[in-house]
Amino acid sequence: MMLSALLLTLALAQAPHQEPAPATPPGAEIAASPAAEAPKEGEAHGAAAEGEGHGGPSAVLMHHVTDQADYHPFGLPFAFPSKHLFFLIFAMLLVILAARLAIASYKDGTPSGIGSVVETLVVYVRDEIAMKNIGHDGAKYTPLLLSFFFFILFAALFGLFPFSATATGNLSVTLALAAISFAAQMHAGISKYGVVGHFKNLVPHGLPTPILIVMIPIEIMSMFTKPFALMIRLFANMLAGHMMIAALLMLVPLCAAISQTLGVVMIPISLGMALFIMCLEVLVAFIQAYVFTLFSAIFIGMYAHPAH
Amino acid sequence: MENPVGLAYLAAGIGSGLAIIGGGLGIGKLAASAMEGIARQPNASGDIRGAMIVAAGLIEGATLFALVIMILLVIK
Repeated sequence: MMLSALLLTLALAQAPHQEPAPATPPGAEIAASPAAEAPKEGEAHGAAAEGEGHGGPSAVLMHHVTDQADYHPFGLPFAFPSKHLFFLIFAMLLVILAARLAIASYKDGTPSGIGSVVETLVVYVRDEIAMKNIGHDGAKYTPLLLSFFFFILFAALFGLFPFSATATGNLSVTLALAAISFAAQMHAGISKYGVVGHFKNLVPHGLPTPILIVMIPIEIMSMFTKPFALMIRLFANMLAGHMMIAALLMLVPLCAAISQTLGVVMIPISLGMALFIMCLEVLVAFIQAYVFTLFSAIFIGMYAHPAH
Repeated sequence: MENPVGLAYLAAGIGSGLAIIGGGLGIGKLAASAMEGIARQPNASGDIRGAMIVAAGLIEGATLFALVIMILLVIK
């Protein structure tokens, strides 16, 4: 289930890339004419990103945090369609590898090394997130929640390495993750109560008609805003930290443009602040992985047990 | 008006500041109450922390909706 969920993420994340995705920088959307066909969109994106490379501080900032087309991993001769796609696959493979290594480290039922670290997190997600919020159906959704948790964690921690990117800092990727979460929420309700019963459960039973007129649209809207909030939350948190680091490091050349002494004085200040944000980012990676998993579990539990 | 697009940037800047004020106040109040609760009842710290993170996430979500509108203003 873990593998299939990750593959689905991959497939979904790839699809919006062909269209003018919301994650493309503003310049690229202007550069690409609306009549251009889908494959040409990517070329226009690449050209715009290259052209903007020396266009001033904001262009440099956007270049660092947004996706880059035709990415050569580690300077290799072959190109990937995009940088985020490469790190998405990389994080996915690492999650699978970590899971395999953790399983292999068990000897007579006792884990060692990486296995004991993974076991702590797995048990935490199962007992504190899945079982607590979904109840006895929690075991069914634990593999999905675990793959959410580990994938988001690994993808976020990857972004902290030099020359790498956070795959979840791309709106298309978080859209795919939120779509999977939405599908799981619907599955929880529909598999238990049937299609009609599930949608009847959206509003509490026995309400008078005037209240129903107000409640039904609100509940239908909230059904879609929940995964939307998941999508935006993860995307914004992953993007904001990287933008902040880039902006703080950018202080040095900006101050040096005013006077050289000011630029030199700015180096330790800027590096110190960037280091602080970097440490905060490690914390944010864990918190966002936890929050995404927790909210998915809460929403699944909400549809599985509408009475409370 | 020379460049009316500038007004959108201005609105986005002011708006995101206001959104952050609201979100910061909300999460600040929430954290203060949670700390107070934990200080009074250290046994319940686990439950309080869990509820706090859920509520903080919901406040954050509302703030981020506002920020998305700011982004839309900027890139339009």
